[in-house]
Amino acid sequence: MAVTASDTRAAVRSAAMAAPSLSTSAVEALMLGLATGPICLASCGPVVLPWMLVQPQGVRSHARQLSIFLSGRLAGYLVFATVVWLAGIALAGAGNARFWIMGGVQVLLAVGLLIYAAAWPHARCGFVRSKNNLVQIGTTSSAPPQSRPTGAIALGFLTGINLCPPFLVAGVRAAQLPTLAAALLFFAVFFVGTAVWFMPFLSLGVVRRTPSFMTVARMAAVLLACWYGFTGGSLLIEKAIYG
Amino acid sequence: MRARILAILAYIGAAVTLLIAACVPFVLMGVFSNAVAHAGLHMDPSYSGGTIVRTVAHGRYQTDVYAPVRPRALQQVHAFVQVAFRPVSALPRHVSEEIDLDGDGQPDVRVSFTVPTGPHARPIGEVVALNAKYQSFTMPGNYSFSEMMVQSGGAVVVRVPLR
Amino acid sequence: MASRVLPRPPAFRSVGRSVLLTLPMALWALLMFTPSFRQPGRNSHIGALLVILFMTALFFLMMRTGKTYRWRRYFFVALGLLFPVGFIASLVAVRGTMSIPIERMVSGDTPFCYMVIPMLILPAAVTRTIIFPGSILPTASNPHSIAIMIGLWLALTLVVGKAWCSYICFFGGIEEGFAALPKRMKIRKLDPRLRLVPWAILLFVVVLSAALFEPVYCMWLCPFKTVTEYPAVHSVQTAIQMGIFITLFGGLVVVLPYLTRKRTQCAFFCPFGAFQSLFNKINLFEIRFDREKCVDCTLCQTACPTMALSAESIREGKTLLNCMKCGACVDSCKKSAAVWHLKGTKVALKPERARLLFLYGAWAMATMFGGSILANSISTIIGFLPLR
Repeated sequence: MAVTASDTRAAVRSAAMAAPSLSTSAVEALMLGLATGPICLASCGPVVLPWMLVQPQGVRSHARQLSIFLSGRLAGYLVFATVVWLAGIALAGAGNARFWIMGGVQVLLAVGLLIYAAAWPHARCGFVRSKNNLVQIGTTSSAPPQSRPTGAIALGFLTGINLCPPFLVAGVRAAQLPTLAAALLFFAVFFVGTAVWFMPFLSLGVVRRTPSFMTVARMAAVLLACWYGFTGGSLLIEKAIYG
Repeated sequence: MRARILAILAYIGAAVTLLIAACVPFVLMGVFSNAVAHAGLHMDPSYSGGTIVRTVAHGRYQTDVYAPVRPRALQQVHAFVQVAFRPVSALPRHVSEEIDLDGDGQPDVRVSFTVPTGPHARPIGEVVALNAKYQSFTMPGNYSFSEMMVQSGGAVVVRVPLR
Repeated sequence: MASRVLPRPPAFRSVGRSVLLTLPMALWALLMFTPSFRQPGRNSHIGALLVILFMTALFFLMMRTGKTYRWRRYFFVALGLLFPVGFIASLVAVRGTMSIPIERMVSGDTPFCYMVIPMLILPAAVTRTIIFPGSILPTASNPHSIAIMIGLWLALTLVVGKAWCSYICFFGGIEEGFAALPKRMKIRKLDPRLRLVPWAILLFVVVLSAALFEPVYCMWLCPFKTVTEYPAVHSVQTAIQMGIFITLFGGLVVVLPYLTRKRTQCAFFCPFGAFQSLFNKINLFEIRFDREKCVDCTLCQTACPTMALSAESIREGKTLLNCMKCGACVDSCKKSAAVWHLKGTKVALKPERARLLFLYGAWAMATMFGGSILANSISTIIGFLPLR
């Protein structure tokens, strides 16, 4: 007899009759996010770092970009929370589906980083005025063009649906909650716990953006894109061949 | 005046550099090496196997059970538990032992192997999981940092993957 | 910039004066290799003696001719060619293969290489963990322990800084040898942005190593795995890794240096070189340009093996951050505008004095470190020869 998604949902709901209260779930989500934040940082940091380095100088500018990025990430979290709760954890967490999603997300991240590195207009004309010093800490700099939010949201969303282990742990927990709103709240608070670990990226705003610095950041973005493309592609090929 | 002071400082600095150079093989290298050695650093457990939590004595040889090693961050290593049988020279020709890995008093795996004869030879054997937490495997097979049965450091080292 | 117009320095120094200036270095070499003479074994004695003579002779020629680059290059190429010989021989003697079996990694017997140092910093700072399959303290089977090698690196870097890449690194001499073979460049134009690639690779390997908790450069990108040791090939992944190592070695260390007459691996790839460049900020010795004498002939730019000079930097009288103080620009300058300089003193006031002060430190370290490698390799080669 086939088990449908609605059967799974009903079973989860009945099992969650004795689920803890919302406040307890929120505290649990926050603790889980704070504890697993380093893993999130390790997973998403290689994407965020080169992307932040090509942003205009200034802590305020960085704060704006980081908040847009984190908004995209939150959107990814909430989409995942909705899928997990509606369709059951079997779809998102177990079996081969997880690896297909991870591989696909990593390839998309690679493409996103490549587009960002190739499309950034500032460094293309900046090298004519290159200085000897690679990095300077300072506040005076000619302001490069403002970056558009779509890239930040896209990168944030992709990292938001990257199925790293703490994400799956949170998913299992959220699937046990009685209502969709509770699951969304759980993931939102979990997001807050992980987002705390991204705050140190704001310090990159004080580093002066010389043309050489921006070129290095773009090159690093390309290299990291190659890495994500390689690991994501390997995962997809391995699953396609071996199942 | 300022230029003169700077130049004097520069030559003092150069002299100090030469003095440092002269001290490198006799003093400095040892000082820095000792500082690194006493900095409280340890090898990554995926390489070292972790810390020993339990030793079972068997007369001439002993079985060391290590703490479980779990991957950090995005480390590409599955979780495992290491067991070491040492010394190799005191092991009987065939070893078969049921081992409690998690310290609950119940055997979790049965490790069986033929002790290798040469210093670079690998044991032939198997690990049978008696507890669903662990994975069975047979060697020779695919070696990885989380699944192996090798002769290393004067011991037979077995790493049992965790599910 | 300097405003004094100085007489052109003599092309040659007298023999007597050269001998006098070489004497401290000869005594230093004797001091460094005296323990070798106390050990049994004729081969090690011969190796030590040859190295003492070799290093002393090169330093004498540096003093006699007033040139640095050419004589340094003989030592450096010899080091690059002979290091793999001694290293591979010791690997084969101990474990019978160049490949690193997993047993060696688990027992902490992998010799530590300084190239991995930048990747260790973040994981060690955050978790006190060394992400390298070696041992912290030396053992009988692994004297090149992590503590010893990091201690050695720190001590040498205090003295030479980025000149590590010209006097200490036992890999750079291979490509410097290939770069010296042709008379002319086959590829003359190189994009100046290529000199930023090592910084990008440094950022890439540091970030990824911290995320993956493994030395990414060693596992995926080191060209010199081809001539030292590498993880045993037993899977698709390790086969891909080996393919990358061989391709990078062939391209960056053999072919491109031959075509460009540049040290392409060092200048356009090596993340450790980028890391060492940071020490140029604090090192007292540098190369500067006397703008009064410079005629912008760009001979120095052509001669520089690592593109550490740009038109803009020369206008400012400086080199770029990745200058490894090999002396090629100084030796090629016909107007004596490129000079050795001690920071804090006037540019071009006493360049030979600055050069001497620098060379005594750098050559002493080269003799101590590189010389011991040369002696060991020579001793190994003599051991292979069918001599009675």
